Amino acid sequence: MHVYDLGSAPWLHSQLVYHALPRLGMEGLILVSPAEPYVCIGYHQDVSQEVDLEACQALKLPVFRREVGGGAVYLDGGQLFYQIVLRREHPLARGSKADFYARFLEPVAQTYRDLGVQASFRPVNDIVTAEGRKISGNGAAEIGQGVVLVGNLIVDFDYETMVRVLKVPDEKFRDKVHKSLRENLTTLRRELGTVPPREVLVGTLRRNLEQVLGPLEDAPLPPAVWEEVARLERTHTAPEWLYGVHRPAGERKVRISGDTQVIRNTYKAPGGLIRATLEVKAGHIVSVDLSGDFFLYPQDALRDLEERLAGAPLEAASEIIAAFYREREVESPGVTPADWVAALRMA
Amino acid sequence: MKIGKYEFPDDLLYDKEHNWARVEGNRVTQGMTALGQALAGEIVYAEVPRVGRTVEQGQPFMSLESGKWVGRIKAVVSGKIVEANGDLEWESTLINDSPYERGWFAVIEMSNPGELEALFKPSDPAYQAFVQEEAAKYGK
Repeated sequence: MHVYDLGSAPWLHSQLVYHALPRLGMEGLILVSPAEPYVCIGYHQDVSQEVDLEACQALKLPVFRREVGGGAVYLDGGQLFYQIVLRREHPLARGSKADFYARFLEPVAQTYRDLGVQASFRPVNDIVTAEGRKISGNGAAEIGQGVVLVGNLIVDFDYETMVRVLKVPDEKFRDKVHKSLRENLTTLRRELGTVPPREVLVGTLRRNLEQVLGPLEDAPLPPAVWEEVARLERTHTAPEWLYGVHRPAGERKVRISGDTQVIRNTYKAPGGLIRATLEVKAGHIVSVDLSGDFFLYPQDALRDLEERLAGAPLEAASEIIAAFYREREVESPGVTPADWVAALRMA
Repeated sequence: MKIGKYEFPDDLLYDKEHNWARVEGNRVTQGMTALGQALAGEIVYAEVPRVGRTVEQGQPFMSLESGKWVGRIKAVVSGKIVEANGDLEWESTLINDSPYERGWFAVIEMSNPGELEALFKPSDPAYQAFVQEEAAKYGK
């Protein structure tokens, strides 16, 4: 298989080359880091709901919608991307999605272990450290005549800019996302205290991927690819493409990793609007902030309820809320235990 | 009828891309089979196709996403989309929960009814063999 090592490339090329190859029926392993930072949303995302476009404009960050799934993310040269492009009939592209991800992400997990980080593949498509922190982002898509897997070695990550560019309902939500990202997403720099040279990262990754892909041979991209990239540049930077998805405005949810999300639910109880901002990890409420225009007396009751819910399984919320009402003499006109449960629902 | 552990209503036709077709006059409603949604896993997004769009049998016309994987759905017949299931924008999991009823994708007005001959009845041994192979291959 050909390896197209693009080094540090213009951000748009770091996206469009893997969109071009499958349209041409070509296969290959692309290795690249974007030379400039940018914001990237998933294929099915509504950019106006996911990204703070004014913040991106102020920070002079381009925004791009990729054909791979997943969420909005800030990307820069702190990540080394591997992009595996296979024709659909290639034996390595067959089988279930679970098998496909495992096939290619096990070697990436091995790469981290070779670099000194105890990482492992966690289905569906996460690579996590021994502490359970995500250290790689991955997604896939059927594009043209091929199947594409896109992922990264997260060498370094700008957490502040990441949360700055996300569209959030309020600063409380942003803070929760920031905190959750810091706790659940890590980098080679954080794990090792240093950053290995690029040639070490690339060499280690290639060696492990070669076990699956077979012999890898460096090659330049042929002119046909650059012609296709130029064509895609016209279509995929047009406003109609970026703004091409319109989703009904629903609850706000930011996925931090395979098992962690920050969610904002709003629920209209007869006694007032309840806003619940919760971080949920592996089915447990890590923390919840409750606010709204309801009345709850005494004054400390709300914080008490939040503390009782913190750390509990989401499915136990109903019991916890019932116990809260039994054990404390609270007044909440027009807001019942069932209303709190509804406000905590997973969107 | 059941093929393995999956239901395939007798009044529908099927292709080998895990699509079903309900034929009513010159119109075909398309959706995904029970086996198809099991292979896909929980569907988190569905791209609802645009009404008025022309589609071609066997060519992609919409997409679904599960597990950060964007998969393309191919049209079961050629024609023009005359209705699309907007509910899927709100609840993409309708495809998982109700693949033959509430999880329908689109209604296509056929441009070539002869294409229906390429589709299968669930009683067709070739289709049953396909379903059983797929289920075995993916452990479903």
